[in-house]
Order: sequence, then C-alpha cells, then structure tokens
Amino acid sequence: MSWEDGIEERAESLRRIRESAAQARYDFKRGWKIYRRSLLAVIGLLMVISISVVSIFADDLAVEHPGRNLQDTRDVWHIDYEPRKAAPFSDECDTRYQKVSLTTLRRWDANGTNALSPTRVADNNSFYEDILVVTEFIELQDRYGVTLASDLVTLETSNNSYFWISDELMDNNSLTQIRLIYKFENDAMHHWWLPDGYDVCIFGTNDEGQDLFSKILYGSRVSLTIGFTVATLTVIIGTIIGSISGYFGGRTDEVIMRITDIFFAVPGLILALAFVAALQAIDDFTLPLWFAFLLPLFGLCIYFRSTIFDSIMPGETSFPERNLPMRVIVVVSLVVLLALGGPWKDFFELADSSGWRIFASLVGLMIVGGIFILDRRLMDNISLDGVGSRTLNSLDWRNPYRYLTFRTLVIFIASIALFTWSGDGDNEITVIDNFDRLWKIQIALVFTGWPGYARLIRGQVLYVKEMTFVEAARSVGAPSGRIMFRHILPNAWAPLLVAFTLDIGGTILSASGLSFIGLGAEPGAAEWGKLVSDGRAHFPQDYWLVLFPGLAIAYTTLGFNLLGDGLRDVVDPKNRR
Amino acid sequence: MKTSEFIVRRILLLIPVMIGVTVFTFAIAQIIPADPAAILCGERCGLVDPVTGKTMLELQRERLGLDEPVIEQFRLYLTNLAEGDWGESTTYNRPTSDVVRDAAPVTLEMALFALLMAYPIGITLGILSAVWQDQVFDHISRFLAIAFVSLPIFWLAMMLQLVFGTGPDVGGICDPIFGTEGGCFPIYGRHDAALTYPDRSSSLCDTAITGIACYPSWYPSGGTGFHLVDSWFVTDEALDNINPEYASNYKLFDDTLVHLILPSFTLGIASAGSLLRYMRASLLEVMNEDYVRTARAKGLSESRVIIVHACRNALVPILTILGFSIGGAIGGAVLTESIFAFYGMGNVAVDAIINLDYSVLMGVTLITAIIFLMSNLIVDILYGVVDPRVRLE
Repeated sequence: MSWEDGIEERAESLRRIRESAAQARYDFKRGWKIYRRSLLAVIGLLMVISISVVSIFADDLAVEHPGRNLQDTRDVWHIDYEPRKAAPFSDECDTRYQKVSLTTLRRWDANGTNALSPTRVADNNSFYEDILVVTEFIELQDRYGVTLASDLVTLETSNNSYFWISDELMDNNSLTQIRLIYKFENDAMHHWWLPDGYDVCIFGTNDEGQDLFSKILYGSRVSLTIGFTVATLTVIIGTIIGSISGYFGGRTDEVIMRITDIFFAVPGLILALAFVAALQAIDDFTLPLWFAFLLPLFGLCIYFRSTIFDSIMPGETSFPERNLPMRVIVVVSLVVLLALGGPWKDFFELADSSGWRIFASLVGLMIVGGIFILDRRLMDNISLDGVGSRTLNSLDWRNPYRYLTFRTLVIFIASIALFTWSGDGDNEITVIDNFDRLWKIQIALVFTGWPGYARLIRGQVLYVKEMTFVEAARSVGAPSGRIMFRHILPNAWAPLLVAFTLDIGGTILSASGLSFIGLGAEPGAAEWGKLVSDGRAHFPQDYWLVLFPGLAIAYTTLGFNLLGDGLRDVVDPKNRR
Repeated sequence: MKTSEFIVRRILLLIPVMIGVTVFTFAIAQIIPADPAAILCGERCGLVDPVTGKTMLELQRERLGLDEPVIEQFRLYLTNLAEGDWGESTTYNRPTSDVVRDAAPVTLEMALFALLMAYPIGITLGILSAVWQDQVFDHISRFLAIAFVSLPIFWLAMMLQLVFGTGPDVGGICDPIFGTEGGCFPIYGRHDAALTYPDRSSSLCDTAITGIACYPSWYPSGGTGFHLVDSWFVTDEALDNINPEYASNYKLFDDTLVHLILPSFTLGIASAGSLLRYMRASLLEVMNEDYVRTARAKGLSESRVIIVHACRNALVPILTILGFSIGGAIGGAVLTESIFAFYGMGNVAVDAIINLDYSVLMGVTLITAIIFLMSNLIVDILYGVVDPRVRLE
C-alpha cells in the first residue's frame, strides 16, 4: 500500500480525532459546570493551584535557601553571626548579633596582612548578593554580655557596612571577644511581593536563625512530590492488581482479596513503620540494565499484537478509540518516570550520573513508543514507493501522520543516546540514586496503599464487566487484555480519579506523620513534618515553629480533599444528564 | 442462616487472615537489618565455648533457631506464638508479650475514649446536616468534615496543648475564662507527675515486698491497664499509700479522665469527620425510602419522623465504620502518644524501630492486627444481629 492510497483513510481518522477532541471539550465543559456549582470545590481547586504555584516559584518567593545555616557563614574576618530564634514580625528578625574575635584581629594586625588599624570589620555575607546596610547600632558587649561603652566602635559614615574598632579596644588585652548588636537592612532579604515595611521574617526564624517562611515554601516541593509520586504508583499497582482480580474472578480473586485483607488488618501507619524499618539497610535502589528495555518492549509487544489482531479482524474499531487506552498507558508510564525523576530541577542536576542519563533516554524511548503506538500505519508504510512525497507529506503540519519522520529521527537519537550514555552504567540502572529515608517512606506508603485501590477497581471492573459492550467484545473473540484495557478500564476510571486526588492529600498527611516521628526527612530538611518535629523542642514557648509548618500541611491536604470531593460530584452518575 | 452459624463462619474466615498477618510479621523480621543473636550476645559474641567449641554467636543463633531453614523458623515462630512466647525485647530486656500487654491497654483506652467522643459529635452534626440539606449549616459542617480529616493529627495535638494546656503568657485561652492555672488540661502523661498509679508497673503493688494488694483478689493482678476502670477498684489499703491528694477512687478516676481528654479529642477528630459524612449520606438515602414517606403521611411530626423512623435505620450502616475507626485511631495513636507522653503501642513501636527491636515490632504489628480483626468481627456480628439481611448473603 502506498502513501497516497491512505489519504482518504487518513482524512477520515483526522476527522475522528477532531470529533473526539470536540467530545472531550464538551465533557470538560459539562464537568466544569457541575464542579463550579460547589463553592468549596472551587476553593479547593484554588488552594491546590496556589500551592503548586508556590512550589514552582519557591526560589523567587523565598528570601533564603532552606539549607542556609548562619552558623557556617564566616568571612575572611572570622566573624560569627550568632543565630537567633525570632518570633514572627519581631524586632529580633532584623537584629544581628555578631561576635568579633579581637585576638584574631590583633594577630592579623601584627602580621600586617589583612586588617588596618583602627581595625575595620566587614559584614559581607557571601550568600547574599548585596552587602547589608547597618541602620542602627544598638549595643557593644563583651563576651559575657556586659555592655561596654558604645563609642569604642563607630559605624563608618561613608559606607554603612563597616565598623571601625578603636585603638583603645584593640590595645585592651583583657578583652578577647566583643559582640556587636545592630539592626540591618538587606534588599536580598526583603520579600519583593510584600509592601515596604513588611520586610521582617513573617513566620519567624528557628533556633538556627533560618527563615521559617522560606523553609515552608521549599517544603511544598517535597510534599507535593511525595504526594504525586506515591499516589501515581499506588494507582498503577492497585489498578493492575484490582483489575486482574475483578476480571478473572474465581480463585485468583479470592487469593488477591485475602492478601488485601491482611493489609487492611494492620493500621496503615504501623504497617508503613514496619516497612520503613525493614528497608533500613538498603542504600540504593538499582535494577539490571535489561529492565530499561522492558517497558518500551512491553509497549511494542502490545502494539504488534494489536496489529496482528487487526490483520485477522480488520475494521472492528477505528483509530482514535482503539488507541486511546494505549495512549493512556504511555502517558501514565511517562508520568511515572517523570515522577520518579522528582522535581525538574533535581532531574537536570542529576543528569551527570549515568543512571539518570539512561533514565532520561528511557523517557525518550517511551515517547518514541508512544508515537509508534499512535501510528498504526507504520507497517503499511514500510515501502520505498513515494518516499519523496511521503517525506514532504510528513513535514506538512496539517497531516496527522507528520510525525512519521520525526519518529525515525527520535528513534535514531534515542538509541544512540542510550548506548553512548550507558557505557559506564555498570550494567545497572540506578532508579533511585540516593535512596534516602524520604524514598523509603514513599515506598512504604505505596506498599501500604495499593490494597485500597485494588478493591476499588475490582468493584468497578465487576460492575462494568456485566455490561453489554463487554459481552459483545467477548463474543467476537477479543482477548482478555484487550477487553480489559480497551473496554473495561476506560469505563471505570471515574472513581479512580477521585480516589487519586484524595490519596494525594492522604499521602502528604501520612508522609509528614512519618517524618514527624523521625523516620522520614533527614534532620534539618525543609519538610513540613520534620519542621514540626524540629519545632517541638521549643514548644509551647515558641509555638510558631510548630504552628506554621502544620498549617501548611493542613492547607495542602485540605485543598486536595476539597478538590477530590468536588470531582466526586462531577463523576457521580446522578449528576449525568 | 442462623445467627450462631453466621458467627462461626465469620470466625473461620479470620483464620487465613491471621495466618497471613503472622507471615507478614515474620517476613518483616527476616528483612530487618538486625541480627537478634548478635544483639543478645553483644560483646561476648566472639568468645568460644570450651565444651562445644562454638562461638557465643553460633550458640545464640542455635538457641534462637536462626540456623534452621526459613520454613522451620516460621514453624517455630508460630508454635512459640501459640505458646505465648512472643520473643524477647532487646531494648526493654523483658518478654515482648509483657511489653505489649502493658502498652496495649494504654492505646486501647485512648482509642475507645476517642470514639466515645467522636460518635456523638459526628452523628449529631451528620443528622443536622442532612436535615438542613443545602443550607448554610450543611455547607459549614461538610467543610468541617473535610477539614477534620485533613488536619495533621500530631499538629492538632500540639495546637490543642497550646490552646487548652498552657497559661495565657504562652497562648492558652483557659485561664482568663475558667480561672484555672496553666490551662484547663494537663498536657503530658496519663497521670499527674506527683502520683504513682498503683498498677503493674509500680512497686507498690508487688505484694511480696510491700504486702499490699492493690486490687481485690478476683480482679486481674496489677489491674487491667485501663485506668478509667481500674481506678474504681483500687483497694483502700493501696490508696492510703499513694499521694494523699489522690487518695480516693473518684480522684484517681478524675485524674485519669482529665489526662485523657486532650489526646482522645485529638484522635477522635478525624473519626468524627468521616462519621459526619457517612451519617449525612446514610440519612439522606433513608429519607427517600417509602417508610419515611409513610410516616410523614401518617401526620407524625418531622422530628419524630427523623429521630424514630429515619435515624434508626440510617445508623445501621454507620456500625460498619466503627471497626475501621478503631484501626484508624490506633494508627493515629502512633503520632499522638509521643506528644502526650503516653507509653502505649505507638510509642513502643517507634522505639522498636529506632532500636531495631524486631520482636517488639512484630508483637505490636500482631497485636494491632488482632485488635482490629476482633473489633471488626464484633461489628460484623452486631451488624448481622441488627440487620438480618446481611446474614443471607
């Protein structure tokens, strides 16, 4: 068959694609109409959007990186900033306590290296882009906190970032250290999106002087990543197991359901605890290299099977519907792979490790696989007839098969990438490079979460299985896999979507709970549960260290739960008209 | 099916699940990266026993049966469990069964009391919400239902401590309103720090040393562990020997109750949220039934229709959640216990994980599973009794 022969058919499939797109648009509009009836649901959606935006733009919204530790910042002058806990909107926020070692200054002075006399102390914190400006000099103390005469130190008039230390102080050998207390201003520490005059720490600082607000902003990334990763993986595992259970029934069903019973018999959190303990000794999570080929191979197998099937029974169904589930599989696998990649920033940073490059090429291959699957005319088009016009056709953007050449190109590049990059891969793919405790709780939550989905999807499958169109598919001899993926699952996704959304919230809650116990995030990490548990040491006096991270957890969870509740109304058959 | 037949069937169905749970706990112990033999012999592991010519480590392994094949080890584990030998805790240096027996009532008491608080709140709000469907109250309470489920329990616990358990200088609200000092409720422990409760863990009740019987002879020795119950049975003799401030049954009970309110309320909130939703949905469904319409047609007052005719039937499905909420409350206890310094199963489990005390971990997992399955069994049976249709399936 040549390219020209297929023109009519292609026009037909293009029309069908347009039709299904129109249908999708209509469905979306109808769903949105139902959704926006509920004020709470709309609020939930806004909450989810806002927290997602915050996590994406955390770098711009925060005033400092969550890993910054004031105790580590020392400049050439060997000045220590004493980290201070500060309440929200308190004066402490822009007051700095700075230790100056006079003995060090004297030694330098004697060697004539860095210091001038009278000695100048610079306050040039390398983390900030601009040098902070001292606005008010409050007090001078000795190392025991006894106030000294404040004229011993003077602020330089031409440059408000320097102090001049008087000769009197330098010559006084009984003093080894002094402490300067002053108020400062720093443009880099001002929240640009707040009006002037609000440039103090709005959520306070912790005992290491770190801005809590910045930590919470960055914490949203951790929580959302965990929520999405765990929910996606649980959905996939639960769907596979549940549909097997529901579709095949009988003994398989009985065994699977008894296994879920066992999982339900132990409270989820205790099960997750036990599982985290069992994972404790594992440092990295690797898979053999051949595994990298498994997923695309799997996709191709299904594809070729369906083409073979088509040649036996042509014209059973037509292009768009038939391929929809496959596209869903590809998109879902892509999402999983990307979810495993974590936030995009990390993804690109980790790109030097060979494991991640293989992973990236795997993603590439999956895209290729997706294009393969979309292009059911691949086999027909392996022909040298009309290569020229075909190439031209493929560059025509109005042609639905334009990806033909792109596909070849992408396959070519992806294969090369895979084989060059995997050269030093030690024959293993590192799926999880740094298998830290955060990963362990994620795996534990997936492990404890799938039975819920398995039961849900089993019920759905049992329900859909009895419908006429499944009966019809079976009567024409369609294989089980085909019936499952093309007829049953597309009709059973609605409650799954609701459960997925609610599960993201639930996962964020459980993960923060595990972090709170001390099993999740590493100490000092910007994870909400960890922040609450860090703040516990200062509770109830410095309650803000607990209040705000917890509010963040509650806000996000509430958002996802309201969203899920709204979606439940949309997919509720009672609301269908 | 007769009720007795139904009950027997339910119990038989539990057996495979119970075996599955033991397989599960056993598997965890196999994967856990701690060698119990090495922990038990400690520094003496390298020493060689002159009689057998084996090292202490090998002897310990032999004693624990670790040199046997896995199947044999599992058989040994099951037999030991059946005989009441749950292994030896390496952190507490006590039999695991004792550790679990001391910890379980603490958590259970907290969880049951939590449900006792959650059910009235959840059901009342649910009924009102259904009665005033789509009115302002309904919207508020539906929001509350979702919000209750969304609150991180450990955070809620600390916020309640802050608001109800501290003085006004920190952020508490109680003192100006109720004239208390340092908040309405104590925030740590099961009892006042000045009181050593006369139970198994206190030396007071060791009759061999003190000659005092803390509980009547017919009562479990050392008490049941449920202090709300135990406090009423403490003998006068024992009461004389504790802090005079608490030297009466009522005062002991009161002290337990006051310490239990905040933790239980925290645990109960989430259950109340889900109960509210279920109650609302269930009642709305029942309200459309024919018999409700009949009741209305008879001219009964609306309140009578709702309370007598609708609620009675709407409450039946609510029973199902009871079993699950006990499980949920025990899970939540893991997080709240450490905050309120209750030494229940949650605290024990967390300690076990930090110290890799695998036998305690297995014990806690097993006992929570048993509690959960038992409560579900009871709920199932109750359900079968209340709603005869269930038995027909």
